[in-house]
Amino acid sequence: MTGVPLAFYIGLSAAMFLIGMLGVMIRRNPLLLLLAVELMLNSANVALVGFSRHWDDSAGQIFALVVMVVAAAEVVIGLGLVVATFRQRIELDVDQLSTLKG
Amino acid sequence: MATTLGWIILALPLLGCLALALFPRHGEPPKGPVIAIGVGSILIAFVLSAVVFASMLAEDPSERLHVDSLYEWIDIGGVSVDLAIRIDTLSMMMMLIITGVGFLIHLYSVEYMDHDRDYRRFFAEMNFFVFSMLLLVMAENFVFLIVGWGFVGIASYLLIGYYYQQADAVRSAKKAFVMNVIGDVGMVLAAFLLVRELGTLDYSEVFARAGELGPESGTALAVCLLLFVGAAAKSGQMPLHSWLPDAMTGPTPVSALIHAATMVTAGVYLIVRCYTLFDLSSLAGDTVAVVGMVTLFLAATVALMQVDIKRVLAWSTVSQIGYMVMAAGLGLYASAMFHLMTHAFFKATLFLAAGAVIHALGGEQSLDRMGGLRRHLRVAYFAMGAGCLAIAGFPGFSGFFSKDEILAYSLAAGTLGTIGYVVGTVAALLTAIYMFRLLFRAFFGPDPDGGYAHAPHPSRWWMAVPLSILAVLAVVGGWIQVPFGWHLIDDWLAPALVGAPEISPSHTQEVVSLIIGSIVAVAGIAIAWYLFGADRERRLRLAGVAAGPRRVLEDGYELDEIYDEALIGTTRDLGDALTRDFEPKGAGGIISAPVAIVRGSARVLRAAESGLVRTYAFALIAGVGAAGIVIVLAVVR
Repeated sequence: MTGVPLAFYIGLSAAMFLIGMLGVMIRRNPLLLLLAVELMLNSANVALVGFSRHWDDSAGQIFALVVMVVAAAEVVIGLGLVVATFRQRIELDVDQLSTLKG
Repeated sequence: MATTLGWIILALPLLGCLALALFPRHGEPPKGPVIAIGVGSILIAFVLSAVVFASMLAEDPSERLHVDSLYEWIDIGGVSVDLAIRIDTLSMMMMLIITGVGFLIHLYSVEYMDHDRDYRRFFAEMNFFVFSMLLLVMAENFVFLIVGWGFVGIASYLLIGYYYQQADAVRSAKKAFVMNVIGDVGMVLAAFLLVRELGTLDYSEVFARAGELGPESGTALAVCLLLFVGAAAKSGQMPLHSWLPDAMTGPTPVSALIHAATMVTAGVYLIVRCYTLFDLSSLAGDTVAVVGMVTLFLAATVALMQVDIKRVLAWSTVSQIGYMVMAAGLGLYASAMFHLMTHAFFKATLFLAAGAVIHALGGEQSLDRMGGLRRHLRVAYFAMGAGCLAIAGFPGFSGFFSKDEILAYSLAAGTLGTIGYVVGTVAALLTAIYMFRLLFRAFFGPDPDGGYAHAPHPSRWWMAVPLSILAVLAVVGGWIQVPFGWHLIDDWLAPALVGAPEISPSHTQEVVSLIIGSIVAVAGIAIAWYLFGADRERRLRLAGVAAGPRRVLEDGYELDEIYDEALIGTTRDLGDALTRDFEPKGAGGIISAPVAIVRGSARVLRAAESGLVRTYAFALIAGVGAAGIVIVLAVVR
């Protein structure tokens, strides 16, 4: 087995995931929130591709492609909501957007 | 052919009712067409009934039974019910009475209801009544009997409450309806029992297989008594009679047609129709006879004290139907039907004559404000006189023959029959007294003090002609069946009463009964003349005697008050107690406990729904983290 060792993939993936997770928890702008979510998704992709190479099994790479499709769909909806909110001249702050409070 | 005409006879009054009720949609139509449709439909029905009657006369007696089914209405679980009619000698007799007397009363109403606003409503409802009554007597199974039974109940309700602006008319209508529903429940339960035991409701099959119930069996007794609850409610027998005197708030032609001549005799018809069942249980027959005796006697005593002219006649109707019910209970079915027929004639005459008086006096009904009407209203006077002689059983008049037949035949019907004869004879004396009290107080003597507020005017021919025809029938109607002579009613009904017990009095009993009957009638008239006719002051001098018992009689033994206390009061108290004590705590508690549980848990759980996305994210991560730690710990261990 040559090339980059698996630990590097996992390390990168874990770092990306933690950065994304902190972003989701700290950021208040929905646009950046979405970016952070994308980061988390892609960290999962990195892990999938890494495992795929490690076990020499292409299933992981196919999973990564599927995740991208889902992520694209999710971003379309998320950005649509952001644009719609912006056009209502409502402040882009997820702490203010709490109408669904029980 | 008979059944085809039968369907047409049944349809005509219904069409008349629909035409009057639906056209025109708005406003009051001119009176001419209303009269033509309302009276014409009944006239044609009567003519067709007469045609059917003539065709049946030409047939051999054993063939006088026509059943025709229009279509199968219900077929469930082996029980099939057809929309079918039965024309036999019994229903033919009822059809002739209903359409014949009905037509005369419709004709009379043309003038009587002249001053009323809702002319067409009156005729629409009267036509509906005739249709319902025909359905009742022509039905071939218990289902359509009950349908007709219910229809005449609603027609009676509508017409008692005809003057719906008056509170007491509405109250009487409700009372009549409720008491009749008690009877309807009895009928329906009887029908259920028949379905359970015999699996059919068709007359032909029920009566042919009635023996399967078993003679003197509990089932036969139950069926008969339940049927009799219906008959008693409809025919004003004690203790379900008290709606009938109150029903007099309806217009007088309604009282004459529905509450004297036809509908209230439906109970008698029912017992005669189901004679096969009643013959199975002697206890049921005895019960019926005893109820009839009690009713005929008590109602006659109450009629003595009534001041309202129509209430005298109403209580007299209760009493006379008591005679028929007693006869039917003793097994004297043909005699009951004979009295039913003559009663239809003379009671319709009496009511229409009373109506002529009320109409002439502008609505006055109290005997205290009448007197000397003999000089003002000749036609009404003669009709009332003929009716009074007939109902009192004066020799030669119709009531003499029919009442005597019931009494003489009772003598031959065992111990109970003998008791019935004594009670019936005493009540016949009372009948003569109370009827001639009415006649003498209203038509004889001077005009009332202060004269008449509304000058009496004689009626026109619309009222005079039907009244005269009925008066003639009331006089001669009894000659159709004469002791020692001919028995046309018995012969006619014989095919419909096959297998009924043969009861006939000995010659001695017949002669004794005839003589005593004549003496009683004449004595009653003489007593009435002594008390009310000869010396008008005598009644006032006697007014102080036995005031207490007299007041009890005036109130009809205060049965209404007893019902109020025992039934209505108790029910209302129970309802009040439940509303006050049970409903807030019991029923309310059952409902509010789950509500409180849902509310409380929601109050706690809603804290989780902050609406803050970052909080959700944190909760998600914390949850996943916690789950991860648990898994890791589990794997390590």
